[in-house]
Amino acid sequence: MKIRSAIIPMLLSTTLVTAAYAADVPEGTQLAATQVFTYRVLDEFSSFDPQVVEDVNGSEVVRDLFEGLYNQNAEGEIVPGVALSHTVSEDNKTYTFTLRDDAKWSDGTPVTAGDFVYAWQRAVEPELASPYAWYMELMSIENGAAIIAGEKPITDLGVSAPDDHTLVVQLSQPLPYFAKMVSHATTFPSPKWVIDEHGSEWTRPENIVTNGAYVLTEHVPKERSVRERNEMYWDNDKTVLDKVVTLVIGDDAQGLTRWRAGEVDKTEIPSGQYPTLKEEFPTEAYALPRLCNYYMTFNVKNGPEPFQDVRVRQALSYALDRDVIVDRVLQGGQFSAYTFTPGATDGFEIPEVAYANMTQAERDAKAKDLLAEAGYGPDGEKLSFTYLYNTSESHQQIAIVASQMWKQKLGVEVTLENQEWKVFLETRGNQNFELARGAWCGDYNEASTFLDLLTSQSGYNDGKFSNARVDELMAEAKSSQDTNPLYAEVEAILADEMPVIPIYHYSTNIMLSDSIQGWPINNVEQTWYAKDLYKVAE
Amino acid sequence: MFNYTLRRILTVVPTLLVLIIFSFYLMRLAPGGPFTSEKPLPPAVMKNVLERYGMDQPLYVQLWTYIKNIVFHFDFGPSFSQKDRTVNDVIAQGFPVTLTYGFWSAVFVLVLGIPLGIVAALRHNSFWDYTMTGLAIFSQIFPNFVLAPILVLLFTLSWGLLPGGGWNGGQWEYIIMPAIALGTSYMAGVARLTRGSMLEVLNAPFILTARSKGLPERTIIWRHALKPALLPTLTYMGPVFVYMITGSVFIDVFFSTGGIGQDFIDGAYSRDYAMLLGLAVLYSLLTFTLNLLLDLMYAWIDPKVRSNL
Repeated sequence: MKIRSAIIPMLLSTTLVTAAYAADVPEGTQLAATQVFTYRVLDEFSSFDPQVVEDVNGSEVVRDLFEGLYNQNAEGEIVPGVALSHTVSEDNKTYTFTLRDDAKWSDGTPVTAGDFVYAWQRAVEPELASPYAWYMELMSIENGAAIIAGEKPITDLGVSAPDDHTLVVQLSQPLPYFAKMVSHATTFPSPKWVIDEHGSEWTRPENIVTNGAYVLTEHVPKERSVRERNEMYWDNDKTVLDKVVTLVIGDDAQGLTRWRAGEVDKTEIPSGQYPTLKEEFPTEAYALPRLCNYYMTFNVKNGPEPFQDVRVRQALSYALDRDVIVDRVLQGGQFSAYTFTPGATDGFEIPEVAYANMTQAERDAKAKDLLAEAGYGPDGEKLSFTYLYNTSESHQQIAIVASQMWKQKLGVEVTLENQEWKVFLETRGNQNFELARGAWCGDYNEASTFLDLLTSQSGYNDGKFSNARVDELMAEAKSSQDTNPLYAEVEAILADEMPVIPIYHYSTNIMLSDSIQGWPINNVEQTWYAKDLYKVAE
Repeated sequence: MFNYTLRRILTVVPTLLVLIIFSFYLMRLAPGGPFTSEKPLPPAVMKNVLERYGMDQPLYVQLWTYIKNIVFHFDFGPSFSQKDRTVNDVIAQGFPVTLTYGFWSAVFVLVLGIPLGIVAALRHNSFWDYTMTGLAIFSQIFPNFVLAPILVLLFTLSWGLLPGGGWNGGQWEYIIMPAIALGTSYMAGVARLTRGSMLEVLNAPFILTARSKGLPERTIIWRHALKPALLPTLTYMGPVFVYMITGSVFIDVFFSTGGIGQDFIDGAYSRDYAMLLGLAVLYSLLTFTLNLLLDLMYAWIDPKVRSNL
């Protein structure tokens, strides 16, 4: 039974998650003598503190060091972590988690429900000012928002520990995917006694106490970090890798060189090199789907006047040949996108979107008609606008290709403008653009993490698209048992209104040595745990 | 000389103050801030974050707090991007790294560059001279971002002799390639400068006098020619040395040394104000110190300079 069934029960029921997941070594496998996994990260981590960490690479380390209520398995489904199971109340607003009694911190202290209460209160505490406090707000935990705003004390947070092995969470509104959200680093427990003793230095290797499969034994910022097996971890017997080393390598090409030299087992593939590497290393070059989209957003609030005309927006979208962008420009196994939500999203079925089923020739013809109808093009007014993107080689390539397609097919004149990342964010956030690049990565594996962005009240909706029906549907989806029809309708409205032009859905391109086994290639969030990996003899 | 040194040291304080104030305001002019991100923080969260770092205060208050903390606690503030660490931590960890490979790079530059220059000058217009000059020009056109990948290609990928990057506590095999990649074009510069000034000195009247007195060539070179011939090299090496020990962004990123060079760039991109200011102060202190040392060395080498101090 999958945890998702927790959404269905209307009556109080117990949900058991699938058996715990650990390194699953097939019989007869010849394991390598030294079980060390070394991988490359691009940047230094933002933090190892579960409530403070905000970058992807940092979260990977934190997931090895700490264990939350649930983990994810290779398919991205949740499996027991510190919690064995949970029950949901009739009104879907109270979650009661039963915690295992054999979980221990690396100093031998038992992991209790109180450690979670402390950590969750810490996450919303104004003094700690965690940038990820918003995640707790997203989880709809009762009083979370008020505590962040400083209006209530942290003790009012809707989380309590009636006993050491029971954690009760009170939500302010039903949230069908709540149980999925507790595999996120922000919700991991923290050792109060260690934080009290060492303050902000508690995550240093000499101070840190963890409850995950590994402990941090070395950390040289901007160079390396080492985590080693936590002997106190409840499932330590099944852990195979003894040691995990991260090396910070800021240059993609150098990362690849060091992978070739055998210094790292895993690295990212520099942009554009996937096809050749796949040929050279067919079993070690991977293109894995990823929960991120790449789009262009119209400024429908105070952009140029033609953008107020839906026909212009549609024409520009139809005229873009996504397949050329994906197959000829990017060449990294990305997916052409006609919906905002990636097809890889759990439980999301790509709805029938009319223009997705046309051939490109049909789309081009339609685009010309639409633009002419709107009064632009060869027989009408000349359409010109500026496309804004953040400075990067691959964004530039896409911008050039897109502007050429528009020019050749529709006679549209596009000025390309690029800005440094933070300048770009500020410009886009203040609606000082006409058409701008956008990208979004899901915070959890459910379509609302994408579609919420296009609701009127979303702080991330930089094009300021506003549609009452979309708002209504997304609000309804929060408590609905069957969300797919709702999401399909939202996507249909988006295809009609075209406030954004979906371009492609991301893939992650990595080189992973054959010797490393157990990598969750089907997990679209790329949530991996070193405890599930093992190294085979070469 | 003592008064001179003291005077120089005293000028540092106002200079630094101006630098801090200027950089402080300049950084804030750049659009975006340390907490601007693709997923903008909700207003309540942003408010807490700004309060935590004192960034909700007016700018002049922030500046005053910053200066106060440096003067009274020698505290350069927290890093916004590496949240578990302070700027002091970052510098304390990264600076020794860049100092180490920068030092060895400078040794490489001087130990190879000066003798090459001298030999070329002494064997003027000979096979040796042409070889040295050719070599020097060849090295100079190899900027570090071209040389570094070539070194890695040869020493790591082809021959498997050296690790392709990392630091590992500063073991020698991790220092070689960064030091060579960083120093090669400077080494070439030093060789050519030394050759040029040595040639000039060797034709100077006082050397002619020495020769006519019948002094042995060795004494002429070592006792009389070398010191003045090295003056331009010294001038050249001062700023180069500061550059070397404060880390090259490229070397740090390419060889993943963990040095502070990368923090300059990261700090600018992430608007890590405290980090940038801290590094600016460090950089200027080093520049000042080395310039002072250099001037004192001039005085030691050149009596003309000494009498003017």
